[in-house]
Amino acid sequence: MASRKKTLLKVIILGDSSVGKTSLMNQYVNRKFSNQYKATIGADFLTKELTVDDRTVTMQIWDTAGQERFQSLGVAFYRGADCCVLVFDVTAPNTFKSLDSWRDEFLIQASPREPENFPFVLLGNKVDLEPRAISAKRAQQWCQSKNNIPYFETSAKEGLNVEQAFLAIAKNALAQQNSTVDLYNEFPDQIKLTNTQKSGGNGDSCAC
Amino acid sequence: MSYVSDLSQSQEYLSFRSNVPLKRIVVDSDNSKGWRIYDCGPKAVQCPLICLPPVSGTADIFYKQALALSAKGIRVISAESPVYWNVREWCEGFKKLLDYLELDRVHIFGCSLGGYLAQKFAEYTANCPRVASLILCNTFTDTSIFNNHDSAAIFWILPALVLKKMIMGNFGSAKVDPEMVEAIDFMVERLESLPQTELASRLTLNCLRGYVEVHKLRDLSVTIIDVYDESALSNSVREELYKCYPSAKLAHLKSGGNFPYLSRCGEVNLHLQIHLRQFDNSPFSASDKPLICKH
Repeated sequence: MASRKKTLLKVIILGDSSVGKTSLMNQYVNRKFSNQYKATIGADFLTKELTVDDRTVTMQIWDTAGQERFQSLGVAFYRGADCCVLVFDVTAPNTFKSLDSWRDEFLIQASPREPENFPFVLLGNKVDLEPRAISAKRAQQWCQSKNNIPYFETSAKEGLNVEQAFLAIAKNALAQQNSTVDLYNEFPDQIKLTNTQKSGGNGDSCAC
Repeated sequence: MSYVSDLSQSQEYLSFRSNVPLKRIVVDSDNSKGWRIYDCGPKAVQCPLICLPPVSGTADIFYKQALALSAKGIRVISAESPVYWNVREWCEGFKKLLDYLELDRVHIFGCSLGGYLAQKFAEYTANCPRVASLILCNTFTDTSIFNNHDSAAIFWILPALVLKKMIMGNFGSAKVDPEMVEAIDFMVERLESLPQTELASRLTLNCLRGYVEVHKLRDLSVTIIDVYDESALSNSVREELYKCYPSAKLAHLKSGGNFPYLSRCGEVNLHLQIHLRQFDNSPFSASDKPLICKH
């Protein structure tokens, strides 16, 4: 049926300011890193096409400003998210402590159908820096307490683990989307009283 | 009129119609022809966002953009053209409209036919630019996709009923949610209100042989908004548009059908703001205050 339908995955990155959300996204999409810190204002997004399990999907990655909670952007910003990426800085303990509130914030704003099963992925960024304040073990414990969230230690600067992390993000997002689609399929197919109006092929007869 | 759609009964729409006057502006020598516009938001803004509707739409279909964006300080002008029979005439008319409104440059949010005309206008004024940027929604660069060049010559003579049927054949969509149903109902109602000559003129513009000379638009900032579910435009048409604008920002929506500015207005408005805020504090700002505000 709709096998050639394109898939769009919406991913939202949340976390305190200066943990490296924008850098992670830029490293993944553009393979670029800048040491210069420029606070993100409002929200912005980048798109990237990738292949997951032989399927081409488009990932729309939303980067947010850590210093503000996005009341101004409202639900449109969170609407239809397929995965939420939480980021903290492994050298800054405060950014780890905020993870709970970022997760809550997301669940309140996006209000997914099944909050307990909604896919999150945790990234501990800046592993190239010393000294470490949050051990991998501690991060993993937090992940376990939240229904086994996948955890990756990354360095946006060195491009370490970034590709792997985003692939996992895409897989989780895709799994989430498939489960939501099933919900819609509970409705029976519509009954068509006329022949299909679509002429088929690639001749669009007109724009409306 | 046989029925009334939910959207045209909504508080939001009624409030738009009772607060924003519909202006008729005659720019051609023919007095019977007039552009219909809704001008919303601060009049001091010199580089507003102009919204151009698809074949079936009237200027009021952008009421959700006009209300939400003007509240953020953006000047939004929704414009519906009078009867023109070719793209050049349309471009000349639109240029006169901008002259009348004393607007040197504008951002254009063009949907379907509106998006095609927006690109043609940017091409037409490439030597003396009048377009600051483009936001293209469910649109195309080449009319050959419609396979209708030959019939375009006789649209003017076809009865309104036939023309409406041609357009409505594309409205249906396999999977629709309540917002999309509302949007379709509303658009059908707009379509019903259009007289035969207007419909024929728009379909003719839509189907006359033509394409956009994209190389003349190289320097324009472009955002492409499109939906990933079924709409009147096929995947290949969308891919073609991406190819024409390799540096465009791609604002995909998961779903929304043919009229996302109605059915997914929150997301569309967000993308319009993200597009426009790059012009903050520049001569081409579309708002009277910065769209980016630090809290």
